[in-house]
Amino acid sequence: MDDTTKCLLRRLVRRIPTQILKTTLEKWGRLTAAQEQSIDSTSSKWALTEKLLSICEENRWTLKHITELEMIYIIDNPNQGMWHAFQLMEPEDDAQSVELMQFKEQFKSHLSELARHVSVKIKKHTDEAVWIRIAWGDGFSRPNNLKPTYVVHYLQTPYVFVTRLTSKQKPLLSQALVLATRHHAIKDANLSGRKLFAIRDLLMRQYQQVFPSKFPRNLEEDQQTVLNPHIETEQAESAANRRQRACEAFGAGTLPQLQSVVYKLETKFKDHTNKTMTEREEPFRCVVKFASTSLLESLRDCACSGIASTPVTPLLSSIPLKGRNYFVITDNGPGPSSQTRQPHN
Amino acid sequence: MSLLKPFSKLPGLNTASILLVESEEQFQLRLADALVEESNVTVNVRLAKSLPLPMEHEVTRPRIDLVVFIINLTSELSFQSAEASLKYLDPGYFLGKVCFMVTNARNASAPPERLDAVRKLAASLHCALLFAEDETPDGVTNATERLLTILKVAAGLVPMATALYLSNLTRCTMPSDLDQPSFD
Repeated sequence: MDDTTKCLLRRLVRRIPTQILKTTLEKWGRLTAAQEQSIDSTSSKWALTEKLLSICEENRWTLKHITELEMIYIIDNPNQGMWHAFQLMEPEDDAQSVELMQFKEQFKSHLSELARHVSVKIKKHTDEAVWIRIAWGDGFSRPNNLKPTYVVHYLQTPYVFVTRLTSKQKPLLSQALVLATRHHAIKDANLSGRKLFAIRDLLMRQYQQVFPSKFPRNLEEDQQTVLNPHIETEQAESAANRRQRACEAFGAGTLPQLQSVVYKLETKFKDHTNKTMTEREEPFRCVVKFASTSLLESLRDCACSGIASTPVTPLLSSIPLKGRNYFVITDNGPGPSSQTRQPHN
Repeated sequence: MSLLKPFSKLPGLNTASILLVESEEQFQLRLADALVEESNVTVNVRLAKSLPLPMEHEVTRPRIDLVVFIINLTSELSFQSAEASLKYLDPGYFLGKVCFMVTNARNASAPPERLDAVRKLAASLHCALLFAEDETPDGVTNATERLLTILKVAAGLVPMATALYLSNLTRCTMPSDLDQPSFD
């Protein structure tokens, strides 16, 4: 058993919390019943590491087996590090019929053509997601298994989620994905977050949406007749209106947990009392960031309580509408940069 | 301008009505639940976010005996909303039928200037200023009891006491100089 395998196993055991370790090992299924019994979850991490290393020697596990274990752990606990979303553009005619085996073969062959010494592992999860683990190496060194990239793609959708990708590796991965999924281009969806399922649910609209209707019927209000008849809310109608508008903009129920939204402003400074700043030709660059444990629910609360005026401004409602949390805002004018986008289109 | 008038309607028998105005709409709900538990008097509670009140309910609304402005000291918006609502009250209310209730006074993030501003406002209007603790059920009970005491007088249910008389005793005063040491 060589050093890299040992090193990877050590790192992995250190990373996995003790409570989850036993279940992860059971799922992996490469330990015999006797070996499983011999692992004592109450012992210290160091003792567990040594125990697993000795079992590893016994069973003669290779690097492949350890990377399998790592993948199982990450698939069950994906909320680590930052996930970034990408969107595939311009599908070819047969993009809708790409199925798993074809995608696997194509992706592996394209990526190995583009980058020498990559080690790729593809696994299909029960919920239709394809998980890909890539360990990158260059012409001179073996693949680095300590810093792998994880990619999640849902077949037949144009969405790809990536974590731990460097800018050098990005074009290689993009090219391989585009070719394997039969599209022509891939672009950054400008959406990132710590929770994989949250950004997936936001992009694929898997949360309860409220559609604008002329006569909204709120089912919750019917249940509120139990309220004491002596208590009466004076402005109940305007509160209900605000709530309706807020839910139309953001959705009802539990919303996907985004952590932040960033607005990069490149607009001209506008303040009549400050002549020196207003007279400048160049735009006033500034970055505004909103952060929260669950950003969309916070924004919806702001709109419900009246802190954010309703109807909700397009700056805020574009977050769920367009599924992005990074915006560049310029004035309505000829903008030279290709990244510029007006907020209301 | 639709002013809320104190004596334009007839009172109910053994009834008192209170209007709780709070920009955040949180504490008022708990207070309302506790206020209606009172058994000796029928208490009607009306909840609002700010004044003016909508015209549609004008007919069914009872005569409001006491208007309470609930201000959260950690929020500037709360203070400004309460201040802006004051002009929709008929001046007759300021003879003992208005009081201010302040929450989160002990919170470190509440700037002391805001409390001074609220004090000044209450003192200039000759209204009572109450401090309440809104996190625990005990705090809610205490606040309710104090409000009920003032409410019963304001509704005319306590013999030999009127709202104006009580307000002379309970109104907020600004200490004239805060910097000088007070022992002479």
